[in-house]
Amino acid sequence: MPTGPIPILKIGSTLLVTIQIELHDTVVDSFQEDVLEEIEKSGASGLIIDISALETVDSYVARTLANTGKMAKLMGTETVIVGMRPAVAATLVRMGYFMEGIHTALSLEEGLEVLGSQAKVPDTE
Amino acid sequence: MQPGMQPDYMEILKLDEGELKRRLAFFELSDDDFQRLATLKSFAERWTHEITDGLYELIMAQPESRAFFPDQATLARVKKLQNTYFLGLFTGNYDLNYVRDRLRVGAAHERIGMPPKLYLGAYRRYLALIHSRLLEYFKGNAAEAAKALESIRKIIFFDMALAIDTYIAAYLETMTRHQAAIRELSTPVIKVHDRILLLPIVGTVDTQRAQQIMETVLVQVVDQQARVMILDIAGVPVVDTRVADHILKTTAAVQLLGAQSILTGISASVARTVIQLGVEITRVHTRSKLSEGIELALSIVGKKIGSKTARAGSEEA
Repeated sequence: MPTGPIPILKIGSTLLVTIQIELHDTVVDSFQEDVLEEIEKSGASGLIIDISALETVDSYVARTLANTGKMAKLMGTETVIVGMRPAVAATLVRMGYFMEGIHTALSLEEGLEVLGSQAKVPDTE
Repeated sequence: MQPGMQPDYMEILKLDEGELKRRLAFFELSDDDFQRLATLKSFAERWTHEITDGLYELIMAQPESRAFFPDQATLARVKKLQNTYFLGLFTGNYDLNYVRDRLRVGAAHERIGMPPKLYLGAYRRYLALIHSRLLEYFKGNAAEAAKALESIRKIIFFDMALAIDTYIAAYLETMTRHQAAIRELSTPVIKVHDRILLLPIVGTVDTQRAQQIMETVLVQVVDQQARVMILDIAGVPVVDTRVADHILKTTAAVQLLGAQSILTGISASVARTVIQLGVEITRVHTRSKLSEGIELALSIVGKKIGSKTARAGSEEA
């Protein structure tokens, strides 16, 4: 049962998480725990994390988000992070976080598309 | 700034009551001077036309300064302004309104492109003219004339300082505007097709520019919801590790947003350098020519460039 302040919605076989509060270390930890439990329970094939409300992402949050994606993948769930702000992207690459192994998309709609057409997504060569 | 709009020099030069006091103090302008200047009003009214004429004798004798006054009408107008200016020195009231008026004078000289050397040179003649008229006014009482001249000199130097500050502020303002224009020109993001953006990078890429490129590119990708961002580096003269690093960081950030990036314009020598430097470049699509990059971009958004069929071939261009 999720205990954290971030609601996890289930639509079909996709889990949708919209983060609308500042992510402190404790929040992000409980968030990771909740998401993984929810994946185990529901057997979802896709996870979309919408971070469009986040104005800043520190290194701990970035690492936790990336790790959550990797853990989900181990459980057979593809993760897409959607709605990242330009300033956040710039900060992440400057800190050396490239979020390998995680899909990204401009909007929620495209995130769903990415999950829906996994095989067709042209990966970098 | 809007064209034709004058910058507010009072604000740029931070001229408030405090600054006015400091300036007056530095030019040693005291109440004595203010009173003395006020009593010289009759002197000013008596001699202003002679002094102005004497000043313009010098100005009209030199081709460089004469060029600013092409016709008689202009000359008559500026002489009138000069008289007003002269009388303004003797109001005895040197407040922020006085300063504002003086800044306006300085700005006017700067705007017509009058170089400071002519402006300051003319003041030298101005002071000499005032001195000789003062001696006449005080009927040879050199001590009184010297006191009066000293007060006038103070207020004139006070004015000159304001004018020169205006010159400098105007130049800085122009420079800032040009720099902004150059910055804008250096990252022209072009929309090639629906959801495909192109940024041709021309010239050297230093850290500051790289940051600005990244910022512009990321904002544009999100604003226009671009699927693909093409970076064309054919116009970058030298690609070393630092430049490659900047460019790759930008492409990585684009990918974080959820768009793809394509790097084009990679010449044989750039390819060789990048590999020899051991720069990791596998994460990003690369093509040697821009046209190939555009084709790839189109295929990513599910489109392609095709030839017209023979039937449609006769269509006008």
